[in-house]
Amino acid sequence: MKQTGKFKRFFLHTVSALLAFSTVFSLAACGGNGDSGQIGGVTITIPEGGYDGSKQTIKFYHSMGQRLEPGFNSAVKRFNALYPNITIEASKQGGYDDVLKIISTELMANTHPSLAYCYQDHVAYYNNYGVVATLDNLIESDIEITRADGTKEILGLTDEQISDYIPGYYAEGRVFGDGLMYTLPLYKSTELFYYNKDFFTQHNLTPPTTWDELETLCARIKEIDPACIPLGYDSEANWFITMCEQLGSPYTTANGVDPEDFFLFDNETNHQFVAKFAEWYDKGYVTTQELYGGYTSGLFTASSGQKSYMTIGSSAGATSQRPTADSSGNYPFEVGIAPIPQVNPDRPKVISQGPSLCIFNNKKNPQETIAAWLFAKFLSTDIEYQADIALNTGYVPVTTAVMDDPIYKEDIQKADGGDNIAQLSIDICMKQSNNYFVSPAFNGSSEAREQVGALMQYCFAQCVSGGEANMKKIKAAFDAAIEECIYSIE
Amino acid sequence: MSDIKSTVMTEKDITKVSSKQKVTKILVQVGLYLFLGIMAFIVLFPFYWMIISSLKTVTEYNWLKPSLFPHKFTGKGYVEAFKVANLLDLFGNTLYVGVISTILSLIITVLSAFAFARLEFKGKNVLFAILLATMMIPGELFTVTNFQTIMKWEWRYTYKVLIIPFLVSVFYIYLLKQNFMQIPNELYLAAKIDGTTDLKYLWKVMIPLALPTLISITILKMMGSWNTYMWPNLVANDEEHMLITVGIRHAQFVDEATNQTNFPAQMAAVTIVSIPLFMVFIFLRKYIMKGVSRSGIKG
Amino acid sequence: MAKFSATMKKVFVDGIWNTFCVKWIWETFFVAWIHDAFFINFVCKKLKFDKWKAWVYLSPAIILLLIFTAWPILNTLRMAFIEDFKAQNYRGLFEIDWSKLGFKNFEKVVEYRAFKTALKNTMLLCFLTVPISTFLALLIAVCLNAIKPFQRLLQTIFFLPYVTNSIAIGMVFAAMFNVVGRVEDPNAIVGIVNNILKLFGVEPIDWINSSSSYGANLTVLVIYIVWNALPFKILVLLGGLQSVNKQYYEAAKIDGTPRWRVFTKITVPLLSPMIAYVVITGFIGGFKEYSSIIGIFGDGMAPPGTSLPGNKRWYTMVGYIYDNIERNQGRASAAALILFAIIFAVTMVNLYVSKKKTHY
Repeated sequence: MKQTGKFKRFFLHTVSALLAFSTVFSLAACGGNGDSGQIGGVTITIPEGGYDGSKQTIKFYHSMGQRLEPGFNSAVKRFNALYPNITIEASKQGGYDDVLKIISTELMANTHPSLAYCYQDHVAYYNNYGVVATLDNLIESDIEITRADGTKEILGLTDEQISDYIPGYYAEGRVFGDGLMYTLPLYKSTELFYYNKDFFTQHNLTPPTTWDELETLCARIKEIDPACIPLGYDSEANWFITMCEQLGSPYTTANGVDPEDFFLFDNETNHQFVAKFAEWYDKGYVTTQELYGGYTSGLFTASSGQKSYMTIGSSAGATSQRPTADSSGNYPFEVGIAPIPQVNPDRPKVISQGPSLCIFNNKKNPQETIAAWLFAKFLSTDIEYQADIALNTGYVPVTTAVMDDPIYKEDIQKADGGDNIAQLSIDICMKQSNNYFVSPAFNGSSEAREQVGALMQYCFAQCVSGGEANMKKIKAAFDAAIEECIYSIE
Repeated sequence: MSDIKSTVMTEKDITKVSSKQKVTKILVQVGLYLFLGIMAFIVLFPFYWMIISSLKTVTEYNWLKPSLFPHKFTGKGYVEAFKVANLLDLFGNTLYVGVISTILSLIITVLSAFAFARLEFKGKNVLFAILLATMMIPGELFTVTNFQTIMKWEWRYTYKVLIIPFLVSVFYIYLLKQNFMQIPNELYLAAKIDGTTDLKYLWKVMIPLALPTLISITILKMMGSWNTYMWPNLVANDEEHMLITVGIRHAQFVDEATNQTNFPAQMAAVTIVSIPLFMVFIFLRKYIMKGVSRSGIKG
Repeated sequence: MAKFSATMKKVFVDGIWNTFCVKWIWETFFVAWIHDAFFINFVCKKLKFDKWKAWVYLSPAIILLLIFTAWPILNTLRMAFIEDFKAQNYRGLFEIDWSKLGFKNFEKVVEYRAFKTALKNTMLLCFLTVPISTFLALLIAVCLNAIKPFQRLLQTIFFLPYVTNSIAIGMVFAAMFNVVGRVEDPNAIVGIVNNILKLFGVEPIDWINSSSSYGANLTVLVIYIVWNALPFKILVLLGGLQSVNKQYYEAAKIDGTPRWRVFTKITVPLLSPMIAYVVITGFIGGFKEYSSIIGIFGDGMAPPGTSLPGNKRWYTMVGYIYDNIERNQGRASAAALILFAIIFAVTMVNLYVSKKKTHY
């Protein structure tokens, strides 16, 4: 009878909805146990014979902008020609932080991807769950795999491939304090010193190689144009971390037991340089992104009002350091690019940023993990893909082999301070390939970064015209930053 | 200060007052209007500033001496606002969440209020008292756990998380229950004898009679969705599910020429967000004020 | 655009229908009702359905309240009293580490600088804005009640700030007070407020930017919060005034009582229940102050460069709780309980005072 059916449905739906609620509730009740002790990565067991050619799907979370996508898509095509059974399911998750946010949600329910964009800080966070595969045994593996086109490759990295990486970039995989390799670099950016070349030539100035030279230069420029702020520095945190590295003074360490062990930046040397730069700020030599209220490139490229003549910002943002061209395509001034100033020009250090790749271990299906490794290795070492990064995106490739690529060579010749400013930026980046560093990554490293940034801002804005009072404020700011870092992880 | 009150008593018998009192009365009235005028000006000024700023060019906005009226009107701010803040998507999301949560919330509220107002069951009064008691607890106390719950269920970055946790409002149930109670019980008993089902009775009798309250609830709930910030900012601040308030707070309005904050565009976005609220207010003022005066809670 | 139409499709075609609740409720209640109203009635009677019918109606509300209200209350207590509670270490719903039970979280929270800042800011804002806004609202309501022409119009105007988005309008206030460049600099853009003040001979002030003082920030916040709080209070107080019996005033008039005395001896006492109501709700709202600060200063909750690391200048209790939800749930819960205790205590004091002073 029809009516009974309806009634049944009524009841079934009510009951099933109730059931749905209560199951979810009880699922939550028995979900997992307090396995908090497991911190770090997983060393995977490589299946015999490596990749067996089976059908695998790689869920890949990234945050590629539009400029990066065409190159990536053709790289996937080339990869699939070699491994037709590995499907790459790439999905964009907004920015770098969104990748972290989404994965950290999914980790709770084990639905995370098998491959993802990462910053070292993110991996430190994932390590709370023990899900990221360490790469050492994969890199060393000499298992031979036959590809679809009949050629062979070894599962690991060849010595040639390893030596091809820009050393600083490759070393980023090992900043976790346990000496293990967690990530492969994908493409990078760094900080560069941009200057108004026309202004510099006109007044016979040269880009500085040291911070002391920069100070003299600021004073000079301030004499020439008293209304200007000679220098803009985008990232306060980068400035702090770079200074620590250049001075050889401690910042953080990934090797610690108690919360206090990790944060080492509260020391006399660091107080001194913060005091010095705060003085610069007070004299009107410098401003930063937060204090200025926008990217400092705005000051640098300004055509009217307050201006700056130098700015230190990301190499990937070279095009935004270029002033707007007039209707006939001429730029108001030519931009010059140089490496950032150093403490000791004989031992140059410059920060490295940009995404790496990390592989998540799939406990149930090792083949998937191996397939993810193959794809990560492909992206990281494929010359064509890396050259595309260099030519079309403004980011820095991670292998030096790109420099021998004929198309790259031809393109880089065009580098100038106008239309081809991106090439100029990459050229300068590649030339300092031995100078890169990254700071240690651990649970709390992103907090440290945030706090030293806040510390710089506070000291700059609050320290007025020298003296003991300033040192007191700086001391207080350092104390607060350390306290906050410890509070966040204890 | 002291002048203010007297008007109340004098306004009725104007003929009786002496000329001296008449002068005082006029002065008092002038004073009243002056005070109210100034206050009204202060209240309205931010709205005025918002609207005219949104119509200025960036250059004009940045004049050292700001103009109180745009010398040159431009709609560029609005174009920029739609582009940068992705306003259409934000509108879509907010509308989606607002409509669904309002419908569901109304259904739940009506059913519960009906149960409390008309049906007899064990523990009714105790249960209702407990529900009312939960109204005293600040919502922040729930947030910590609710955040974990939705994380566990993988509800972060979904629409569900914006809709489901706040479907039940004890205050709405209370409001509607009071209203239902005013409907004579005889009607219900008569309906029962006729063999009318509860739901039919609810639909045919109770809901039409309590319509003004239901409209108040609808408007308050919709306005709530429109204005909510803290919870969505915590659990659904990704591009795809972002709600309007979160969206405009996080949008970076930067003028390309100067790389400074593009205030006209920002003000345009704020104006666009405010307009629907004003419209609702103009057309449904009565219901809003009625609901609001009993709640003491915003949104 | 494409994304917008996709959103619309999601909203109107797939979305509403596929959200399981709508489908479920539609089928269980409406479809079933339309087709089977009579039948259900019959079966219900047979099954003695009436007995637990009420619970069926209440079930959606009760289930949701159990999950999103009752459980959080229990869990907040659990988290607050387990030392160093972090969600990732406690996957089980009722898992309790008995050895870690204690007041450690409360100690940590109370000792913490940022919490002290938050407490100070919240108290300061509360005790400044509630009296100011109540007094102003009372004044405006009394004035509104005393006029005839334009009463409706003015009433509408004064209610307008209520129907706004407090974050959005906070951004408007921020724009009005914003200064670009250093205030001392003659080329700085000092904003509309400073320009208006200049007419009265006041030197430009940095209100909300990096060289602003605590006092300047406070002024802006108080103005904004009062502006935001006025409409509700005026509405309630005016409603109260309009229902006051006119006879009291007639009597006072015949006695020739001075106006000030009429205000303090008649108006205020008669309105006292309403005043108590707006003061209590004002305090409850005031202790939860957060969105006005986000509106004006953004997520940083302070002008850039004015806060010691980790100690945001305009932290409030709620701001502190939200900042800790992701990193340390134990402390966030402890802070939420402290907030509850404060609100509870202040409400009780208010009720006590108003009971003594209120004339019904």
